[in-house]
Amino acid sequence: MSDVPFRNPGWAGNTGEFDLSEADVRGTTYAGERPLDGGHPSTSASYPFMLVARNPGAPLFEGPYQERFEKIRGRYPTARAALLPALNLAQEIRGHVSPETMDEVAALLGLSSAYVRGVATFYTMYNKRPVGRFLIQVCTNISCNLCGADEVLAAFLQHTDTELGDTSADENFTVVEAECLAACGFPTCVQINERYFEDVAAGDVPDILRRLTDELKGD
Amino acid sequence: MADVSRRADTVTLTIDGHEVNVPKGTSLLHAAETLGIEVPHYCYHPGLSAPAQCRICLVEVEGAPKLQPSCVTMAQDGQVVHTESPSAKRMRQGVLEFYLVNHPLDCPICDMSGECKLQDYVFDEGREQGRAREPKRVFGRDDFGGDVFYYGDRCVMCTRCVRFMDEVADDARLTVVERGDRAVIDTFFESGLDDASFAGNIVDICPVGALVSKDFLHKARAWDLDHTPSICPNCSQGCNIDLHARDNLVQRLKPRENQEVNGHWMCDYGRANYEWINRAGRIESPGVGRGGKRRAADWQTALGALLDRLREIEGAGVRIVGSPFASNEALGTLHRLGRAVGNVTESVFRCRRAEDEDPLPGFPLLVRRRDLAPNVDGASILGFEPAGSDDATGGLGAAASHDGILVVLGDQLGDQPEDFGADASLYVYLGTFESPAARNADFVLPVTTFAEEDGTFVNAQGRVQRFEQGLQAPGSARPAWLVLGALLAAVEGGNPPGSAADAFAALAVEYAAFAGLSHDAIGTAGAVLEPAHA
Repeated sequence: MSDVPFRNPGWAGNTGEFDLSEADVRGTTYAGERPLDGGHPSTSASYPFMLVARNPGAPLFEGPYQERFEKIRGRYPTARAALLPALNLAQEIRGHVSPETMDEVAALLGLSSAYVRGVATFYTMYNKRPVGRFLIQVCTNISCNLCGADEVLAAFLQHTDTELGDTSADENFTVVEAECLAACGFPTCVQINERYFEDVAAGDVPDILRRLTDELKGD
Repeated sequence: MADVSRRADTVTLTIDGHEVNVPKGTSLLHAAETLGIEVPHYCYHPGLSAPAQCRICLVEVEGAPKLQPSCVTMAQDGQVVHTESPSAKRMRQGVLEFYLVNHPLDCPICDMSGECKLQDYVFDEGREQGRAREPKRVFGRDDFGGDVFYYGDRCVMCTRCVRFMDEVADDARLTVVERGDRAVIDTFFESGLDDASFAGNIVDICPVGALVSKDFLHKARAWDLDHTPSICPNCSQGCNIDLHARDNLVQRLKPRENQEVNGHWMCDYGRANYEWINRAGRIESPGVGRGGKRRAADWQTALGALLDRLREIEGAGVRIVGSPFASNEALGTLHRLGRAVGNVTESVFRCRRAEDEDPLPGFPLLVRRRDLAPNVDGASILGFEPAGSDDATGGLGAAASHDGILVVLGDQLGDQPEDFGADASLYVYLGTFESPAARNADFVLPVTTFAEEDGTFVNAQGRVQRFEQGLQAPGSARPAWLVLGALLAAVEGGNPPGSAADAFAALAVEYAAFAGLSHDAIGTAGAVLEPAHA
């Protein structure tokens, strides 16, 4: 648990009320422990997909991922229906959905490559370009915007020294705008990989980035 | 009519105050069409599935809480439909305004201008002024490969092209990429449409100027084109087409609907091969005399001299070289003339053949056939036999050295030597272009191409189909049936044919395959011959 006093109601600090660590509350430990093969078929398609060490050159759907892909395929009546979770899985492995990835997924599902491209580009949560180790999604929708999301976004861009959508030189950070993250009660909300950071103000940004960088060093 | 409407397989409904009786399962859009009411539509196309996504065909149905998409709402008994009600009109106006938010309005330089559904509908019902004040987003032009350019700014996202490639061509290589106002039609990155052999159809079905033909780009305006119903001359499928001509030149070929032959479609090979129709340097006047002694003559002189020669050498052996590009009227009259003046020992035609067929998966009747000429089956019915190899060369050895009457119609003899027909007692060459092998011809008679005459072809399905004259013939070139019919009448007596229909009527008497048929009976849709003859 970090000693840095961190203004974030998503994690209220250790109040003494519960015997839970920050990792317990945020769910990272639990999520990180979920099996790569997806466990029970019913959860295989809804598995958070930002957890795995990303390797753009990794083979698609081998070993436990092969099992998970087959579970996903088995859960849907048609190949088209299985496309979204299959792309999720591909992005989990590779970090982004490249043209080659679209082509491979299309071949595996027996769909046309063009169709897969159409689907992958329709959904904003598929990264069509490589992203940094931390994908920082700043909500700029109404509630957050009223509470200073523009300044937060500007601060992230300034402190990571990137342009919107680009990846920093050390490949650690990619900052993008997001539409509503469904945390309108805690503006500004920022989603960094699978984690939510709520009530973020522009002044918090250096702290957050420092914590993220520290995490990388700890690995 | 009341009892008709009681029948279980039809329904009666009222559209815009007119009662109409249609088969069950008819969409409101079709039912309105039978009354001559056009409901505006983009995404709906009769040859494709209907996703009901363009939202412009919405009509008011009494009792329904909201406007209904007429392309997928089935007609029901007692329904009362209003296509012109205030709510339907207001909705269409709103939809059109949205379509124009990012549309560049570049009609003056757009190829589709004049036949564009967006232009038409906005002109009919659109707002006078758009209210969008934001700058328009700009995509520019994308080269899809093949014959297709894509102008994303003009696109209305009807996805007809996407569905054509998926459902009809069975090759889903187009898709909608991105979403919202960033949405464009595209292939899988750079894969393009280069090797798709039916992709030209997406240009036809595009209701706006988003997909245009590179070949036709900026060549002619739609309102300057004369449309003539015709038959595609590039293979024996005989797709029904329209010749689009300007200044007596064919500018493009477009498919004409015929559900028995080609549906709404045609292949890219047929579509692309029209320049030969426009080729200049035609024979423009009859020529009399062999080699260096040839002199131009008028028709009366030439045909008079030819008749004299025919009478001199009556009863000789006759060899005929025909062409699968010639009409039934021309080939049949030629064969009749051959039999009238002598003993026909050989009548052949040569045809270029492709290595394989190219079917259209989603419309199995349409196949780009191996025979790359329109009237192979007609020539066979009329007594001509195929000769030569698959590149339309060779096979004329006997004709080249024939010592009786030799008649060539339509075949350009490009592979034949200069002494072709040197031994013939009479050598008549009816053609469109001078040929070295016509040097020894006693008579060179200029005839017209299929685009310059009326006539019929028989396609590979055994279907006799009419085409009409779309171009003026060059110089004094005349239809072959007219020239040959005049000669035949002079030899046999009787009246020469005054029209292609007359020439066909004479064939219907002589050839059992055409018995009972006439140009009128064939009509615009064609007529199927008895299988025994076809």
